[in-house]
Amino acid sequence: MLLDIFDPKAPPRAIGIDLGTTNSLVAYVKNECPTVIADCHQTSLLPSAVHYGDRGDVVVGADALLRAAAHPRDTIVSVKRFMGRGADDPETRRLAPYAFVAPKAGDANVVRFGVAGRVVTPVEVSAEILRALKRLAEDELRSLGGAVITVPAYFDDAQRQATRDAGRLAGLEVLRLINEPTAAALAYGLEKKQNGLFAVYDLGGGTFDVTILVLDNGVFQVKSTGGDSALGGDDMDAILAEELFALAHRDARAATPSEVRVVLDVARRVKHGLTTAPEVEIDNPLGSVPATMLFTRARFDELVRPLLARTGTACKRALRDAETKAESLDGVILVGGSTRVPAVRAFVEQLFGKAPLADIDPDQVVALGAAIQANVLSGAGNPDDVLLLDVTPLSLGIEVGGGVVDRVLPRNTTTPAAARAAYTTQEDNQTGFEIHVVQGERELAADCRSLARFTLRGIPPMAAGLARLEVTFRVDADGLLSVHAREERTGIEQAVDVKPSYGLDDDTVEQMLIDAIDHGEADLDARRLAEARVEAHRIGRSTQKSVDDDPSLLFEGERERIAFALAHLEQAATGADPRTIQLRIDDLDTATKSFAERRMNRAIAMAIEGQRLDQVERTVEHAKGIEAAHGSPLPPPAPDDALASFANHPKPEVER
Amino acid sequence: MNDPFKIFGVARRFDIDLVEFAKIHRVLSRALHPDKYAQAGASERRAALEKAASVNEAWRVLRSPVRRAEALFALAGVAVGENHEPKPGVEFLMEMLEEREALAEARAAKDLAKVRALGSAMAARLAETEAKLASGFAKSFAPTGPTGPEPAAAELAMVVPFLGQLRFYTRFLDEVSLIEEEND
Repeated sequence: MLLDIFDPKAPPRAIGIDLGTTNSLVAYVKNECPTVIADCHQTSLLPSAVHYGDRGDVVVGADALLRAAAHPRDTIVSVKRFMGRGADDPETRRLAPYAFVAPKAGDANVVRFGVAGRVVTPVEVSAEILRALKRLAEDELRSLGGAVITVPAYFDDAQRQATRDAGRLAGLEVLRLINEPTAAALAYGLEKKQNGLFAVYDLGGGTFDVTILVLDNGVFQVKSTGGDSALGGDDMDAILAEELFALAHRDARAATPSEVRVVLDVARRVKHGLTTAPEVEIDNPLGSVPATMLFTRARFDELVRPLLARTGTACKRALRDAETKAESLDGVILVGGSTRVPAVRAFVEQLFGKAPLADIDPDQVVALGAAIQANVLSGAGNPDDVLLLDVTPLSLGIEVGGGVVDRVLPRNTTTPAAARAAYTTQEDNQTGFEIHVVQGERELAADCRSLARFTLRGIPPMAAGLARLEVTFRVDADGLLSVHAREERTGIEQAVDVKPSYGLDDDTVEQMLIDAIDHGEADLDARRLAEARVEAHRIGRSTQKSVDDDPSLLFEGERERIAFALAHLEQAATGADPRTIQLRIDDLDTATKSFAERRMNRAIAMAIEGQRLDQVERTVEHAKGIEAAHGSPLPPPAPDDALASFANHPKPEVER
Repeated sequence: MNDPFKIFGVARRFDIDLVEFAKIHRVLSRALHPDKYAQAGASERRAALEKAASVNEAWRVLRSPVRRAEALFALAGVAVGENHEPKPGVEFLMEMLEEREALAEARAAKDLAKVRALGSAMAARLAETEAKLASGFAKSFAPTGPTGPEPAAAELAMVVPFLGQLRFYTRFLDEVSLIEEEND
């Protein structure tokens, strides 16, 4: 009955995207089966390479890779390594053929590449890859719903935010960011229908993650995660490349960008060759003496040993954080192309004491898991089948006196998460608080990753120690942080969505969206309107369903107020102004606020009640056993005001 | 502060069955997780997010003995924390200092057997302290309701020093597992 403004020919389908360092791919759930989408050449792996041409043209994928040798500076590969990083990040000093551009005064502190006469940020480069995947999916599905994009579990807030921005820039509705190892576990878990404790060892092109999680009838509960967001197959290539330069008696630092590109590519082929052969002989790509070079697997294993040792340290810490031992694991899942390297498999087997599982293609498993989650979130799948409970990978804290970090949310806290901490002034008549939010495990703020700085102003002068500042951290289901600060005595508040230190602010992303129109993007206003209508349609339908489902929770007059807001929203959605639609959505939001809370409280009460019945049943079963043995039944437990849980709201006065 | 016991729908007590609580956490998460409300209106999405976060926060408090004890004291109106607890006795501090020194020596000597022995001795003391806290809290949070605010608070104040001990022991054991890990 409501908001039937769309008549889509094909139902929109949600997609799952694995935005990888080396390769990216997109998948969706087809007839209840997660499936990767292939291009016209039947390839599903899209190389994560973007080439910028002289005439403003952009080429993505295998065709971009072909141009890399001739145009090393204008072709960005492995852009993921630069996401969410500052312009002076050590990552920019690794062996790579790029021309980095320092940010101008006032610009955001992010990496910038100089390509074919323009300057692009990693967010824009990633958006090109996402656009290519989006086109691929549109060819297959016609109508796209939202997208789930995967990120390394060990990505920090800035790296996650950058990924979300890239999705937005590519015109995707990002339903959720999920962690790659968790996505892989989802694909495995649903296929094998096996419960137990698992480790996921995910070594990709540029990032390493380890995750310990429990699978229990569709609930995927992450116990701990660890890793290194700058460790992967690329580093193996770089080590081999350095070796190659050394064998050719050349200084890698003095090589031209083209030589660097060529040698890195040869190194990668050598690595691939050594996966199946014990040795690989190549012609010297630098054309100097010696004419040929021989690489043995034994030497390669020796070269990568330090990298593997770093993954081992992270694995041990993850096991400790999960309060478990390798012996207790029911299985180890291998994810990521780099786990094809024999030395990696042997290392994992030795580390965990059991042969790892790799029967789902390690290149595809993450995208398949993302597709399953996208299907659930879009409402097409059954949300009771699957639930991901993930954690924060890094501790979040605030810099306090002496540059020391006060940890507010420790690493491996289940998300969504919230935590509060209270602080006070150190000086008399201090009227402002400088708040520095950091992420990381080190004791000193300077050694952690800076996320944002902001100041709470306008506090009336008072003696030191009298003001009371309460800072609240919230991490949502995407793993993104928001911070809220409030001075308790004056009630002065400030909310900040953490972003600035190494990210683009909303205005910059907005400007990029506008700029995209000049580069052949569809009309921005049309896109906004379409998005607003989809949102209006979804919210309208869902609100109507809530009202129909729970009429007894409505207060007097509430039904009418909601119906009124719904009718206005419906009307606005037939119009052409996305801003008006947004305003009506906000109105509906206000009208349903307390009803929504009552529904949530009821959901809690019912869940607890269900759990209690279950428990009573078991107790009764148990008691029966005891009765049979001793002849004296036990009473069921009777906890106190349990059902009153969140019920500090007034009872509805009128039903219906 | 939200009462974590209320959120979990259980009586306040210190000695809890973590397996049972993990189950309640999972059941509540299933009912509330934002994934279940991805298609809902903004107000429901926000409410679900907030409740799910408070359920996770409650679980974080409940599963850690130190935080659980701190929460129980706070709920009973007994102030704890840096400036409110009595300073531990000199005897206790000296003893802990010696234990720490022994641990540092064992660490330097890479004597893992010694590290483990020190750890299990400390684990035994921790269990003892937990039992004392449990019985102290059981008296003040009797199932029939507290015996009146004043006697309960007075009685509880007697067990406050055990919280300090619990913190010491927990930190010591964290260090033991760290050393075990680095020698693995």
